Formats: sequence, structure tokens, C-alpha cells
Amino acid sequence: MNIYEHTCILSQNLNPKDLKEIRVKIETIIEKNQGKIEKVEDWGLRNLVYPIKKFKKGYYSNIFFSGSGTAVFELEKFERIDENVLRFLTFKVKEVPKENSELCLKEENK
Amino acid sequence: MLFQKPAIKFKRECPLSGKNAPIINYKNIKLLQKYISETGKILPSRITSVSYSKQKELSSEIKKARILALLPFTNN
Repeated sequence: MNIYEHTCILSQNLNPKDLKEIRVKIETIIEKNQGKIEKVEDWGLRNLVYPIKKFKKGYYSNIFFSGSGTAVFELEKFERIDENVLRFLTFKVKEVPKENSELCLKEENK
Repeated sequence: MLFQKPAIKFKRECPLSGKNAPIINYKNIKLLQKYISETGKILPSRITSVSYSKQKELSSEIKKARILALLPFTNN
């Protein structure tokens, strides 16, 4: 079992309902493939430094999960097909950090 | 005089190693921005005096941040 960190950028055009639907779908894909979600962070709507697929803004979300390589494979397979996912990045980490990162939204702004 | 070695050797320590050094992570954009040039290139360690192992770590974190559009590839 490895611990992975996964970050993805979702399209700006999504309404809050669809946004939640995709995030729930990502979590169910991980859990279906014997993965366990350790931590979820919402970075909110951020400006992209350079345009991706002609979008200038995107919703960032960050997930830490433990599992095997098949969970990563199935997750990336879904994200490559889905048009609303602009970018994603997955890599191995040694441990899950206890504190939230600087990019994470504070509870007041949510 | 021209070819004489300077009497005092100028030496700087690595700003990223040591006890109270900041953690290099792709989420820490403010730190990474100090180590890229105006055009978005990674600065060489002979200018920033970062140690060899930390420079390797730094460059891989900057490349992760570039993929996620947190830092620019180029900036004209």
C-alpha cells in the first residue's frame, strides 16, 4: 500500500451542483478500487498562470489517499475522458501532512 | 594585482538546508518564486547558493507547480 497525492483542476463553467458531483465521483472511484481517502482539501477558484483549453480560471481540489496502483490507473482513466477535468497530477508521498496547506481555503471563505 | 587571489574568501551557506530551513513543496509558491527568473526559468545554484541535493529537490517541485498552472513555463 502506498500513499498518493492527487490534485486536479476542474472547469470554471461548472455550477456548484455538478462540481460536487464530480468530486463525489472521484472519491467513489478510489473507494471502489480498495483505496482509502485520508484527507481532502478544497483550494477554490484560482487564476491559472497560463490558459489551459482556453480557460483562465479553474477549481482546484487536492486528495490524499492510500491504495494500490489500480486505483490510480482507474482514476486517471476517468479523468482523461471527462471534458470538465482540465489537468491532474498524481504522485507518491511518504506521509499525509497533519496541517492544511497555504493554498487551502479558510472556513470563513467557503 | 590583477591575478592575485582575494584575501577574504566569500562564502554563503545554503538557505534551504539547516535547522530552521523552510520545507520545499510545490504548494509553497512564495518560496519557489524566489528561485525562478523574471522569464520563468529556474535560477542556477551558483547564483542562489543552494546546495546540490536541495537544488534537485527544488527543481522537481517547480516542475510539479508548472504542470498545475501555479507557476509559469515562460513569462514574456
